[in-house]
Amino acid sequence: MSAQKDCEFLVKRARELVSEDPCAAKAWLITARTLYPTDFSIQYEMYNIERNAEKTASAGRLLYDMFINFPDQPIVWREISVITAALRSDSQDKHAQFLRGLFETLPGRVQCEMLLKATEQCFNTLEKAEMLLLLLKRFPESVVQHGVNLGETLLEAEASESVETPVNCFRKLFVCDVLPLVINNMDMRLPTSLMQKYILKAAEFYIGYVTRGPSPDGQLQGTQDSGTLKSPGISRGSQRYVIDGLSEKSSVVAEPWERLLDIVTVVGARCEWQGDKGQRSYVDMLLRVKELCRYLPGLEGETRSHCCSQVVICAALVLFRSAFLYVSAVQPALFQGVSSMNSGPWILVEDLSSVYRDLEMDRGALKHAHKKRKLADGREKTMSSDDEEGLGKGRGRHVLVNKMEMPSWSETLESFRTARESWDLLHSHDGLEVEFKKICAVWKTDSWLWFRIFLTDMIIYQGQYRKALSSLHQMAAVQQPQPGQQSPSGQAGLEHHRALIQQASCHYALGEYRMACEKLLDVVSGLLPPTQEPIKSTDDQGRMKTKTRKGNDLRLLPCTSKAVLPFCLQLMLACFKLRAFADNRDDLSLGHVVVLLQHDWPQGEMLFLKAVDKICQQGSFQYENFFNYVTNIDMLEEFAYLRTPEGGRIQLELLPNQGMLIKHHTVTRGITKGVKEDFRLAMERQVSRCGENLLNVLHRFCINEKIIIIQSLP
Amino acid sequence: MGDIRQSLLPRDVLSAAKELLYHLDIYICNLVQSGRQPPQVDSKTLELVEEFILHAPKDRGAPVRKMSALQELQLLEIMCSCFQEQSRDTVRQLMFSALFSLQGNQADESRMVLLGKLVSMAVAMGRVPILECAASWLQRTHRVYCVRLAQVLVDDYCSMVPGSVPTLQNIHSMSPRFCCQFITAVTTLYDLSSEELTPPLELLQMIVSWIQDDPRLVLITFLNTPLSGSQPISSLDVTPLGGLVRWCVKAPLAYKRDKKQALTDGSSDGEPDPRPLFSALHLSVLQVFMLLPNILNEKGLFGLLPLLQMESVAALTSDLSRLLDQADKHTHTSQADAQASSQLALDRLAQALQVAMASGALLCSREDLRAICSRLPHNNLLQLVLSGPVMYYNNIHTPPLAYSPHAAHSPIASHATLPAHAPHTSLGPHPAPHAQYPAQPFMTGMPFPFRPSH
Repeated sequence: MSAQKDCEFLVKRARELVSEDPCAAKAWLITARTLYPTDFSIQYEMYNIERNAEKTASAGRLLYDMFINFPDQPIVWREISVITAALRSDSQDKHAQFLRGLFETLPGRVQCEMLLKATEQCFNTLEKAEMLLLLLKRFPESVVQHGVNLGETLLEAEASESVETPVNCFRKLFVCDVLPLVINNMDMRLPTSLMQKYILKAAEFYIGYVTRGPSPDGQLQGTQDSGTLKSPGISRGSQRYVIDGLSEKSSVVAEPWERLLDIVTVVGARCEWQGDKGQRSYVDMLLRVKELCRYLPGLEGETRSHCCSQVVICAALVLFRSAFLYVSAVQPALFQGVSSMNSGPWILVEDLSSVYRDLEMDRGALKHAHKKRKLADGREKTMSSDDEEGLGKGRGRHVLVNKMEMPSWSETLESFRTARESWDLLHSHDGLEVEFKKICAVWKTDSWLWFRIFLTDMIIYQGQYRKALSSLHQMAAVQQPQPGQQSPSGQAGLEHHRALIQQASCHYALGEYRMACEKLLDVVSGLLPPTQEPIKSTDDQGRMKTKTRKGNDLRLLPCTSKAVLPFCLQLMLACFKLRAFADNRDDLSLGHVVVLLQHDWPQGEMLFLKAVDKICQQGSFQYENFFNYVTNIDMLEEFAYLRTPEGGRIQLELLPNQGMLIKHHTVTRGITKGVKEDFRLAMERQVSRCGENLLNVLHRFCINEKIIIIQSLP
Repeated sequence: MGDIRQSLLPRDVLSAAKELLYHLDIYICNLVQSGRQPPQVDSKTLELVEEFILHAPKDRGAPVRKMSALQELQLLEIMCSCFQEQSRDTVRQLMFSALFSLQGNQADESRMVLLGKLVSMAVAMGRVPILECAASWLQRTHRVYCVRLAQVLVDDYCSMVPGSVPTLQNIHSMSPRFCCQFITAVTTLYDLSSEELTPPLELLQMIVSWIQDDPRLVLITFLNTPLSGSQPISSLDVTPLGGLVRWCVKAPLAYKRDKKQALTDGSSDGEPDPRPLFSALHLSVLQVFMLLPNILNEKGLFGLLPLLQMESVAALTSDLSRLLDQADKHTHTSQADAQASSQLALDRLAQALQVAMASGALLCSREDLRAICSRLPHNNLLQLVLSGPVMYYNNIHTPPLAYSPHAAHSPIASHATLPAHAPHTSLGPHPAPHAQYPAQPFMTGMPFPFRPSH
């Protein structure tokens, strides 16, 4: 016989009674407790009855008693861990809500102690952190004691668990939950260096989150809305994203750029950043540090480095945000949560809408390009001269875009501009550049494909084509279409073409026409022959505007077969144009030009007439592919006319092997008549081909004559 | 006041009574203003009240003036508004005393009748000042009259007019003090000794719901009373706890008896089962006990004021043992049923005693308890309570003093003086005096047969 036996007896009686007469059971337990006030089983049974009946207030009171009187009982701890788990979870089930309500009935001091002790008993870093976070959120005064430690624990955990991405559960908790509590607690003294470290951790997380790639299964599930660029981080439709270790709900980060701006604002205020009166927007931020930069050379020591940090952090954030906004418009498929349904990829290329213009204006550019090409022997020296020139050229270039096809064109171009400005700012002083490179090294921005896309476009804009080409080569290696990724629309193939087209455009800009043509003929051979006559109007708008521009504008070209083939044709035309109209005779080039001028007819009418002039001057013209690829009725008429006495009896050798034929005919009589007859027949046949799909003809031209075309360029 | 009598005499009964009330009001106001301590209404005035309001015969053979029922109703209305309008609490209390304090004379009878009607009317009309005065009256007056007043209300609201219980239910919110005194009076009245003295079910339901809603209600009078010494002899207990304990303990036996009768009558009228009500009430009573240590400590009365008196406990145990004997003698129902009811009664007794003792409401030693419980049949819990918790010298289970105020003399102290006896084997009722109880063993492993047979 023992106290324990007594207690067992009392508890047993209560248990027997509880279902039929809970009041009697409670009466037994009250009595039992007065007999054995220090017996745990009695109080636990009391608690159990109230808990099972979900009586929040009385269960809370009893839990409190147990917590105070039996702090070492494992059962109490099990119970507390169940309750704290309910607090951490977002479950809406009735029992979880009851447990949360139960916790709320406890006095604050006890809640605080409970959470702390529960935290101590937790061995899983993540759970421990979540638990401590509950504490910090409820009891702001505890932030002073635990806030920074918790943050450091999370960052250490991230390091020790060697997670691959900054978008991981530890960082999420740190950046989204702990950091705001810490930096907003004014009772804490935080060294500037620590806050700078934290803001960079936060920025790395948010940028990583926003620019995360699409999940393999969610890639094509984007919703119909075209989506504004302002909130790219909000997940749309059925796209799901889960950070490893977190629930789907807590993996969602709403308004990441806004949150980051909030942190910058608070940290800026706490670090006493110059001229900082609360960041209203990223644009404001850039303006402010631009201003600040002007004073930078006059500063020294501590003040200077302080100022440098502010400029670098702010400018870097603006850079990455704007670059992201630009790339998310240009290459939406790279990101999750950015709608890619309505706008495919876009390619930044040389604007060729002036290709049909007279050559006089281009001559200068040609000489320039030749000079450049001579210098560009791949040596470091030439690169830098290229850069210098490029920088000069980069000023005030226009980027044209079809506004109908890209509704958000102005935001996109604005983002591109802002990003470039931020980049320039970051490279305007050695001190800034060093700091910025440190950040890039830590974040491994080299491995960010999306950022490389921006950088490539930026250096193209700056006219540093040589550099852009090497960047494109690297990217092409990374971007090889993967077998599994081939989507039914051929999108992946097109994206692969994107790099080739850009390379072709760069080679062209460098005057390397043969390389340019090689690349773009590769592209064209990958395109399916067009099935429909193109709608003429698509490009008109842009062309009208560019009439007066110099030849160094850029264009954002939609990466679709519809847009790519015409561009390739224009680029080829541009490559051959100078050669064809050069002083020395080059009938092959001139013939290619004539073929290519059919596209977009009568845009090239003026050039065609110029070609005709040249042929007249030469008195003869030989192009054996003529009847294979020229179906334009105006051109056919013109050539037919050239042979007439009125036209000047120009000797035209336009039939395959006609030269041979002429020789053959000289032996017999009536040769001219026979040739004449052949030409007439060919013309007649050709006129009947006028209705043929021109793009189809030109596509065939590109495929069949690929070798000749390339060989005809030096 | 003599001239007042002269002026009252020619008037008709109602206007004379009205006039006197008016004068009384002025008289008492002056009395209070004069600041004489204690303000006392003189006997002349009291006589006038008896003559013109209570209409007690002044002299032998003198004609008795009587009011018609309508006039009486009018008078009651006037009195109601008179108390309602009087803003000063002291004046109201003095007036109420002048009218209704028992004087030990012939007029008391009509005084009680009028009081009953006034309070019943105040309940119906929600006249809080009158209920407050009546609560004080219930504290000062001999319990016999208190019980009579309670009886009037129970008759009026629970028996006479069906469906009027909700009106009475309201007194809980109108005047908690009155409500508390009413409960005390009712539990004193209905001692469950006979069918007539078994509370009507409506009343029981009402009281249970009151206490469940607010257990502190039963302590209101105690909490508002400055000190215990001033309590008039034979007035009601300061709390209804004793009466409620008696209800709960005796109920399993009393209601079984009723039920039996109902069964023999063949009239099962579908009345709700009182058993869960008593179970809930019993729990509430224990919970009220558990509130006491803090309250008593705050008042500095812990261990000094027995809210549950030893005499009433002794009366209860002897009542109980008699009831159990009776139950034993003529068991109509099955043996098992009877056994269960008896054990329930004993369980509740043991629980009430233990919790009352632990909370400082019952001031006695376990030895004392063993003496008064000696005639009761065996019950595991009761035995456990009577012997007290097992104590080990080297045990972490040391009861903290906060829970056991009588640790000084219970159980160690009380048992230490007892000689050790041979283990007692009988499990039946113990006719033997407490001295024959075996001593409490403190060592583990010692056989101790009267501990619960788990």
